[in-house]
Amino acid sequence: MMKFIRKNKFLVISLLLLAIMTFVDVTLTYTALENTGSQLLDMLLIVPPIFLLIGLFDVWVDRETVIRLMGQSSGIKGMALAFFLGAFSAGPTIAAFPLAMVMLKKGARYSNVLFFLMVWSSLKLPIVFFQVTQLGFSFAMLINVIMLAVFIVAALISEKLYTKSELEAFEKKAEELS
Amino acid sequence: MIIYGIAIGLTIVSAIIDIEKTKNGFKKGAKSFLKLMPVLIPLFLFVGILLAVVTPEFISSLLGEESGFIGIVLGLSVGSITFMPPFVAFPLGKELLESGGAYPQVAGFLVTLMSVGIVYFAAETKFFSKKSAIIRNSVSFIGAIIVVGVVAVIYG
Repeated sequence: MMKFIRKNKFLVISLLLLAIMTFVDVTLTYTALENTGSQLLDMLLIVPPIFLLIGLFDVWVDRETVIRLMGQSSGIKGMALAFFLGAFSAGPTIAAFPLAMVMLKKGARYSNVLFFLMVWSSLKLPIVFFQVTQLGFSFAMLINVIMLAVFIVAALISEKLYTKSELEAFEKKAEELS
Repeated sequence: MIIYGIAIGLTIVSAIIDIEKTKNGFKKGAKSFLKLMPVLIPLFLFVGILLAVVTPEFISSLLGEESGFIGIVLGLSVGSITFMPPFVAFPLGKELLESGGAYPQVAGFLVTLMSVGIVYFAAETKFFSKKSAIIRNSVSFIGAIIVVGVVAVIYG
């Protein structure tokens, strides 16, 4: 029992919150479940082709290529590629993780994978366009340009905070998860 | 929907070149999808609850015109804790600005909304490690503070 709770902290907390909400105001519970359902539906609509692409990527692109393009000594080229992969993407950030795992497994550098994830989460082109229409060009661009700079620095700094064995552990974990 | 076209197109090309490899890729894709689901479902449940409680009206009330420094702190905190799909978040940002919300507050809220959060924390812990999740979220949070600072200087 304890083991189940520890393994599924999120689920247990969510269910508890739902239970509390039901006592406070049952309409909130309905809204919450509705939200969950519609997200799940959105996800199921967008995600299948992404996973199809991940699978194809896994079988067709070999390790040497990934190491050459995005590995330890790929330098600025690797970062640029990570940027383009993240920017020309579609789908929720959560779908970027499995792709990130495949990259890591095939020997991409941690900082590049991290940069890719960060770009995917907030600098995807479709989102940037939408942002510009809503917030205006100058405000949206100001935010995005600073974020990009922050992401580059963040990716490089976070990598420095790991030991070699920790970085290898990521790769091993990626192997298991993809 | 473009992505469906690309995926189907590439699958066909791949199947023509090597059907076995394509089948294998299909299986691998399905497998990573199934591995993601247990992470996703509780997460969606949690986000559903958050969205029910943290309504746009609630956020507007926090980031008003005269909210000042406290508004910035609130914007950064609310943005970090909650999660919203971009197609909800940016119209909300627009609305906040139009109803007199200050630029730095709104910027802080939007940036942390996109890059810091439980959603990433849960997934990142699962896929990388807790340390990775803590580091990336904190660095992004510092980044958001920098964004707020720059926006405050330019629009302030």
